[in-house]
Amino acid sequence: MPGADVVVVGAGLSGLSAALSAAQSGARVQVLAKGHAGTHWGSGGLEIAGPAGVATPREGLKRLAGTRGHPYADLAAEAPAALDWIRAALAAEGLTFEGDLDTPLALAPTSIGGTRPVAILPTAQAAAARPWVGERLIICGVAGFKDFWPDAIAASLSRPRLWGGAAGPERVTAVTVELPGLAGRHNLNALELARRFDDRVWRARAIDLIAAALESAGRGSGPGRVALPAILGLNDHAAVYDELRKRLPLAPFEVPLVTPSVPGLRLYYALRSALIKAGGRVRIGEVIDHVDRQGDRVTAVATEAAARTSTVACGALILATGGIAGGGIVAGKDGHLDEVVLGLPVEAPEYGEWLSADAFDPAGHPLEAAGIRVDRDMRPVGAGGRPLLENVFVVGTMLAGQRYLRERCRDGVSIASGRMATRNLAAAVPAGASRGAWAGVRQ
Amino acid sequence: MTIAEVVREASLEQVGYSSDQCLKCNVCNTVCPVARVTDLFPGPKYVGPQASRFRMGRTQPAQGKGTPRLASPDVTVDYCSGCGWCTTACPAGVKIAEMNSQSRARMKAGKRPKLRDWGLGQTDLTGRVGVMFSPLGNWALANRPVRRMMEFTVGVHHSAPFPKFSRRTFQSAWKRRQKRLGLGSAELPGPDKAVVYFHGCAVNYYEPDVADAAIAVLRRNGYQVIVPPQVCCGLPLISNGIYGQAREKANSNIKILADYARKGYTIVGTSTSCTHTIKAEYREMLDIHDDDAEVVANATWDICEFLLDLHDKGKLDTDFGPLDEDLPYHAPCQLRSHGIGLPAMDLFALVPGLRARDMDHDCCGIAGTYGMKKEKYGIAMAVGAPLFAKVKASGATEAACDSETCRWQIQGATGVRTRHPVEILQAAYKAADAAAAGKVAGGASGGRA
Amino acid sequence: MAESQTFDVLVVGGGATGAGVVRDLARRGLRSLLVDRGDFGTGTTGRYHGLLHSGGRYAMKDAAAARECIAENRVLRRIAPASIEDTGGYFVATPDDPEDYVAAFPAACASAGIDCEEIPVAQALRREPALNPAIRRVFRLPDGSVEPWNLIDANLADARNHGSEARTYQRVVAFEREGDRLVGATLLDERSGATTKIAMRFVVATAGAWSGQIAALAGVKLEMRPGKGVMLIFNQRMTDTVVNRCHKSADGDIMVPVHTVAILGTTDVRVPDPDVYEISREEVAALMAEGEKLFPDLGRMRLLRAYAGVRPLYQPPADAQAADNRSVSRAHTVVDHAVRDGVENYVSIVGGKLTTFRLMAEDTVDAVCAKLGVTEKCTTAEAILPGQVPGKTYWLGHRLAEHEAEGGGDAGLLCECEFVTREMLDEFVAENWPCSIDDMRRGTRLGMGPCQGGFCTFRAAGVAAEKLARGPSGAGAAAGPAGNGAQARPAAQFADELDQGLVGYLRERFKGTRPIASGRQLQELWMVLGMYVGTQGLDSLIDRRTVPPAVAPAEVTDARR
Repeated sequence: MPGADVVVVGAGLSGLSAALSAAQSGARVQVLAKGHAGTHWGSGGLEIAGPAGVATPREGLKRLAGTRGHPYADLAAEAPAALDWIRAALAAEGLTFEGDLDTPLALAPTSIGGTRPVAILPTAQAAAARPWVGERLIICGVAGFKDFWPDAIAASLSRPRLWGGAAGPERVTAVTVELPGLAGRHNLNALELARRFDDRVWRARAIDLIAAALESAGRGSGPGRVALPAILGLNDHAAVYDELRKRLPLAPFEVPLVTPSVPGLRLYYALRSALIKAGGRVRIGEVIDHVDRQGDRVTAVATEAAARTSTVACGALILATGGIAGGGIVAGKDGHLDEVVLGLPVEAPEYGEWLSADAFDPAGHPLEAAGIRVDRDMRPVGAGGRPLLENVFVVGTMLAGQRYLRERCRDGVSIASGRMATRNLAAAVPAGASRGAWAGVRQ
Repeated sequence: MTIAEVVREASLEQVGYSSDQCLKCNVCNTVCPVARVTDLFPGPKYVGPQASRFRMGRTQPAQGKGTPRLASPDVTVDYCSGCGWCTTACPAGVKIAEMNSQSRARMKAGKRPKLRDWGLGQTDLTGRVGVMFSPLGNWALANRPVRRMMEFTVGVHHSAPFPKFSRRTFQSAWKRRQKRLGLGSAELPGPDKAVVYFHGCAVNYYEPDVADAAIAVLRRNGYQVIVPPQVCCGLPLISNGIYGQAREKANSNIKILADYARKGYTIVGTSTSCTHTIKAEYREMLDIHDDDAEVVANATWDICEFLLDLHDKGKLDTDFGPLDEDLPYHAPCQLRSHGIGLPAMDLFALVPGLRARDMDHDCCGIAGTYGMKKEKYGIAMAVGAPLFAKVKASGATEAACDSETCRWQIQGATGVRTRHPVEILQAAYKAADAAAAGKVAGGASGGRA
Repeated sequence: MAESQTFDVLVVGGGATGAGVVRDLARRGLRSLLVDRGDFGTGTTGRYHGLLHSGGRYAMKDAAAARECIAENRVLRRIAPASIEDTGGYFVATPDDPEDYVAAFPAACASAGIDCEEIPVAQALRREPALNPAIRRVFRLPDGSVEPWNLIDANLADARNHGSEARTYQRVVAFEREGDRLVGATLLDERSGATTKIAMRFVVATAGAWSGQIAALAGVKLEMRPGKGVMLIFNQRMTDTVVNRCHKSADGDIMVPVHTVAILGTTDVRVPDPDVYEISREEVAALMAEGEKLFPDLGRMRLLRAYAGVRPLYQPPADAQAADNRSVSRAHTVVDHAVRDGVENYVSIVGGKLTTFRLMAEDTVDAVCAKLGVTEKCTTAEAILPGQVPGKTYWLGHRLAEHEAEGGGDAGLLCECEFVTREMLDEFVAENWPCSIDDMRRGTRLGMGPCQGGFCTFRAAGVAAEKLARGPSGAGAAAGPAGNGAQARPAAQFADELDQGLVGYLRERFKGTRPIASGRQLQELWMVLGMYVGTQGLDSLIDRRTVPPAVAPAEVTDARR
């Protein structure tokens, strides 16, 4: 049967981080994923650590590392290097980030008129996080686009309490622009707009219209910034943002939207490209049928194929299936939780305590902390703390002990765990464990 | 419980139920090649799980016996090309493309099919007639005024990439050959020495070279080929919403093939579209669930899938000669839905010197008969445009693709001759033979080197 | 700032019965005012099963109720076809159902005048393949399904056409009594806090399960026996036909396709307070077990939410106390408080079911007219409701078909799951402003699909914000800063309202998800939380300084919100 040194199940941030890391160190890597979730649903990154009450991500790392059972207890030391590594990899693909672990967490506007704490942002989002000193903010929407409502956002952000204790913009107003060729369209989503921005000719006209609208909205009103929905190009994003920045009278920044997230797509495609260049292979649409084991080692992964299964021998398996949100952990009606690839035991609160009565409980829902318990090497462990499988590693939101929504640690845990897992691969993958026709003829 | 078990547990046989899995996350919309290029198509989420909640009778087989004719509220689902990327990318297991095909069938149920749609579904009929009158047929298909007339009357676009009719059908050529060699009534070799060949309409009426290459490659690897009577797999009928006739074709094929399958023969096909239809669509789309259908599905393999499997068992003749060329390769949508990776690329890796490159493009646009239709031709060409550009830019003299209509589309749009991967492999074997002959000749004259 | 207004009749309680009563009163020339403490249809009417009874369910036990049902079933089809889906109904005998009941069933239907046709099981299974293949017999009856809000709206439109009024968010907080008559009422506007004084000649309480609370304001004791019924909403219609168990009424024995979903119900548990009840996982499990007897694969179908309604059951004092709530009569009672309580001009209408709401209203208004000396006869059974086309009942596909006819597409759909367009929402808002997002839901079905408001709630808030910022003249895609329109309001003021609407709405949807959170619905919830709390910073909108969580700590569902 065909083989790979490492099979990664799941193509989100943790899976692709692990896969890229492994591929860069020479392993033959195959990523198998049912579909897309994590990246495509998220904000484009990068949340490393931002629990309430800390000033910087570095402080956040420290705080969470000290939290019992949190993945950062073992991973926090790995996080800074992992962050540097992924930024380099993404920059090589044209996707750059601003901010670092010592950047103070600031509040950035969101598309529902809220604010969220951020420090490390994609370049196109970064202007949102700079401190506000005597500047106004214009929320600029696109006519006919239903995922960004400037009046609602402006109204909400006009309230001081949205900015916490810190100063916010002096004034927040709304503007809506009609972009060329969109009137009468039956379909108009963020991705469609992003693709248009990729078109040089169209975007030049669009940017002119945006500039004109901003100029007439604030003649002589002093410095400021403009918030745009996250539609600023997909393949040509860097050029789009650059042109926009140069042409507009106000400093622009993107605001991530509900799914599908264009910044998330950029992140995915950048990682995928890097992985393929490094010799890895990505297969989407793959559903795990079963996993072959010999003793405490996984030897092959079989996916559903038409009328049969398709098997890949593997030296190691990395489980990056995304937890409950990603479908890697499924809840039954009677309160049991299944880890769907290997049947690993899921650490979770009692059934009766899964969900708080308050949908938006500030402490989060107890079930958020559910996941797989691992040892320092990222191997899943059983009740006694001993690894259940020698050559299996669990990464990302599959890991127990984190409440990433409010700890704002999802991306950091994903990247750090992905790196940590591959660190141990050389030991886990015996020489010549997999063979077959798989030899990676690449672009 | 594995993901597969979860999906099976949570979903039910009938494709319509899978819309229960939908999370409304819009990921399917990000991968749809048609939504990418036209405003006429709202995307898979809309026409699939979203619209399905507004359709009556979703628990019933589409165009089944006794299925009541229900008024259909649909229009835009007609623009779905059936490429299947939505189903592939969905994180939750919604069978969107399949659902769309059934909605189209329901839309057309109770109405007379358009002449064009009916005609495009009659591949056996057009094939036989076309081959019978092939010089005239080929002339007509190449003649601009005739094509324009066809477009005006029947709705097939004047530039739709039709292949040329062969002089005779593969079936009749095969029968002649068997007779000539006296093999007609011989006892069949056992399943370890022979495979059943499902050739499909493309080979039968247009591309005998593919069959020649496939048979040669199989023979080289120790397998004789059995060619039973067979009809069109039925996919063009399914795609055009003519389920009744599709079921007739399906049942006819299943009946004959089941016999062989039960005896342990592997059924090998050179069209990823045909083999996918037999493996999966008879069950999923046409709701054919009997034992015969299952046994046939389980025995059916795509030829590259089969050869790669031989290789994994150490049984493939890997003595390929060098092919010093750049070879752009396009993975058809109907290969992806097999879920077997890219076996052609893995086989190409065994050929010394061959620089095969996966074009990594989602869809060439033709989507079976979709891109041949007047109102969809433009969409199809827009979908495939980046692929065509990449193929042309490669400077290669030939390209490879496992599905026939994709080959015709790529060839038509780029002018680059596009072959089935098995033809490339056969060329590599021939190169090995030539080299060996050269060596022998050299040896005879100059001693061993 | 108190205003005084005078009406002939004050009708308290804006459910189906109240709407029917005000319509009937108006048509008989009595200028009336209907009020509800919330939006119309937020009591039992908005939380019922959705069934248009054929009466088959009562044929064996209560022939009078059965006859009433089938008569009103026919009337409603005539006067309100747009609110009714002609699904037809099956009464099926599963292997668990006693043969004697089944055998006697057709005759009982016939004697109640209910069309009952036995059809071959194979035919029923062909039409509804999800049904239990082990069923023994199938009878076809004229059940249907009803969506209550447009039914209420249609009644109110007729009432308004005849000179009466209907107002939402007006809670009756006091009656003014002079001797043995109620002469006035004080209304509190729940949204603005303003009070209004009303003078009236008569009071009708159509407050269903809350009738006791209204009566108390009048100094009258009326003891209701509210019966909670839990229902499960399934994401898809696994049946296009109403399916009933052919047996003595019990829990979980009816599945009703209502618009895009299918609803399984129900239970019957006495609760002391119609606003306070819970839905437990055990109840959900018990309902599922019963439902699987009708649809064996039910456990594998997606549950959207669980909800409960409270029946307005009333036990007239003469009857003995019945232990099982289900045996309390469902026929309705017009309680004349003159005879019983010494208040001359006050009646309450209690009991009953939605199918007979018009008849309940007729009986009530007959009583009122008798007391007021009005001789006009009831015309509500003949007159088709405004805006309806005779015979044109609801078709599941209509929203999709209409949208497709205009070119389809997602751009104009604010709620994609339920095909709610920008135009629909604009129209609703124009007619009903000021309104909450929950009001928009009832008016358009926004947020009632699989994502449970995950994607559409903020869009609805966005539309509302546009209206508030630009004023009615500025609606539409025009460039220009906010605050342009003459009737625009300062931004920060309405932002707080929008927050409450957005957060409150999502919280409400969550309440229905919580008891059934598993499988895809739990995953959906996780995805929505990830988006809202994670990417969109929803926490920042929740002002925890002044507003306590909308839900009390224990497992309690507050129906009022």
